[in-house]
Amino acid sequence: MAAPALQAARRWSGLGLGVRLAVCHLPGITQVRGSRYAPEFRDPLTDKEYYRKPVAELTEDEKYDQELKKTQLIKAAAATETSSVFADPAISKFTNMMMKGGNKTLARSLMAQTLEAVKRKQFEKYRVATAEEQATIERNPYRVFHQALKNCEPVIGLVPILKGGHFYQVPVPLSDRRRRFLAMKWMITECRENKPRRTLMPEKLSNELLEAFHNRGPVIKRKHNMHKMAEANRALAHYRWW
Amino acid sequence: MATPSLRSRLARFANPGKPVLKPNKPLILANRVGNRRREKGEATCITEMSMMMACWKQNEFRDEACRKEIQDFFECSSRAQKAGKMRSIQETLEQSESLPPHKMTKLLQRFPNKSHLS
Repeated sequence: MAAPALQAARRWSGLGLGVRLAVCHLPGITQVRGSRYAPEFRDPLTDKEYYRKPVAELTEDEKYDQELKKTQLIKAAAATETSSVFADPAISKFTNMMMKGGNKTLARSLMAQTLEAVKRKQFEKYRVATAEEQATIERNPYRVFHQALKNCEPVIGLVPILKGGHFYQVPVPLSDRRRRFLAMKWMITECRENKPRRTLMPEKLSNELLEAFHNRGPVIKRKHNMHKMAEANRALAHYRWW
Repeated sequence: MATPSLRSRLARFANPGKPVLKPNKPLILANRVGNRRREKGEATCITEMSMMMACWKQNEFRDEACRKEIQDFFECSSRAQKAGKMRSIQETLEQSESLPPHKMTKLLQRFPNKSHLS
């Protein structure tokens, strides 16, 4: 499918193996975007369980795969990928979305402070609660975080569709990824914009997360507004073509 | 038939005659390709969506009361998404003489036309 010039350029050149040869000797063509890894590089696997399996338990495919990996080239893992037990993809994604200007250390410390604040608040409630209430209070901040974001996810979304010169908001099913993104985005936007000045992010975020955990609060309200608008526009659903 | 050329077609001071072409955009190759006209399908999962919305109307938009309808809607949408993916894979398998438009655009984005001299 690629032009024959590109295919010729992919073979050995003086640059050595592993680097994707930018077609630099063709005038007027420079590679601007794209991975610098050659196509034979494999993605790294940071799953401890995969490597801990005893040799006897491996299937034929897996044995072949492991033998193959000894000679194959593997890309470098990103600095954010870990095989640690504390690594949580949702928390990492949320931290990245909170990050401004590439300041990952600040975003990570804010996330840690938020989780600590959530835990402290729940423990305060636990200490003054009666025995029956103590059973219902959730003190694990990670579970509070996940449940709060799950409660904030919208079920259906709206998409502007151009028809007859006008844009109509058409209700449309959303993918899992999009729903998770919207929940996180709404949470962060709510904390950044609609709060009194000089309140710190961990405090705002912990309040919002606890409210969303109990299905109240502005983020849940925004989700319900989205659902109501979708319900109001349900007649326009036929404007979709997918 | 003369080969097409731009000589004396545009309104320039050096051009003595009337302009033949009056382009409203600059005559520069863009780093993208237009999309093919393909047949539009129809909306999927309408019945599940209307069931879910009826349930919402009865229960004041609470999600806990409408779990079953929401689950059906999600399953329908994932099935529709998979069907769409299979269809697009089928289309790419059939077409072999040139790249589909989105792949061509991606290639052009990686190897764009030079708009600068050096």
